[in-house]
Amino acid sequence: MNTDVQRITLNLPASADYVDIVRLNLYGIASKIGFSYEEIEDMKVAVSEACNNSVLYAYGQDGGMVDVFFEVTQDYLSITVRDEGESFESNGRSEGSETLHDKELSDVQIGGLGFYLMEALMDEVSIKNQAGKGTEVVLTKRLSRSEEPV
Amino acid sequence: MSMNTTNQDKFNARTQMNDNVCTVFLSGELDLSVAPDFRLVMEPLVSNGENDLIVNMKDMTYIDSTGIGILLSILKARHGMKAGFGVEEVPPQIQKLFDMTGIAKFFAKQENSQ
Repeated sequence: MNTDVQRITLNLPASADYVDIVRLNLYGIASKIGFSYEEIEDMKVAVSEACNNSVLYAYGQDGGMVDVFFEVTQDYLSITVRDEGESFESNGRSEGSETLHDKELSDVQIGGLGFYLMEALMDEVSIKNQAGKGTEVVLTKRLSRSEEPV
Repeated sequence: MSMNTTNQDKFNARTQMNDNVCTVFLSGELDLSVAPDFRLVMEPLVSNGENDLIVNMKDMTYIDSTGIGILLSILKARHGMKAGFGVEEVPPQIQKLFDMTGIAKFFAKQENSQ
């Protein structure tokens, strides 16, 4: 693996109005290093879901900040979304990721889809909750080398 | 409908009535930031069981789990009222998310029953 790692950092208010800014930056970075349109769309969804969790569950009414780190190497793009609020597991959302595939409409619970999408759309997902110290989600997508670089 | 101007560039909903079919044309990004606007637009349309309700997604560029969650709650409400609800002209990247999450099968059932 190439040891040359480049980092890009965003520090944003934990507000729904800024999640599209993260998507725009992701698009710029991911297209620059050669990800396909479909891969970028997948990452946009996953990264937004991680940001949504920080926006919705980290800080309550007081608000706070979210850090987004993009780590670029020759082999992969890794995106870390970190807040310093309450972890979302401590908010009773530990039901984990689930889909609707084996459910009837009357049994469907709204929620839980965000985690499922992160796991399904990225190559690696790690979620660290530290009590009282916030949540860190690391999403990694490998660059496929099958296609010629543009 | 009420939306502030910045969000209007980002996401828009236009409603059209035609022979007991109400079609809502969405454009842009349906995400957490515009979810309250979308709920507000849909609420009176969902509760009117006289009409079939369709969401046209041709000009949508993005949806997140919040948007999918709202569609799911509309499906549940309309199912409970025995009223029609469907989506049309779903872009491939959004259809992929519908398939992955499993919401696609509920839309398919609606289509079959019409």
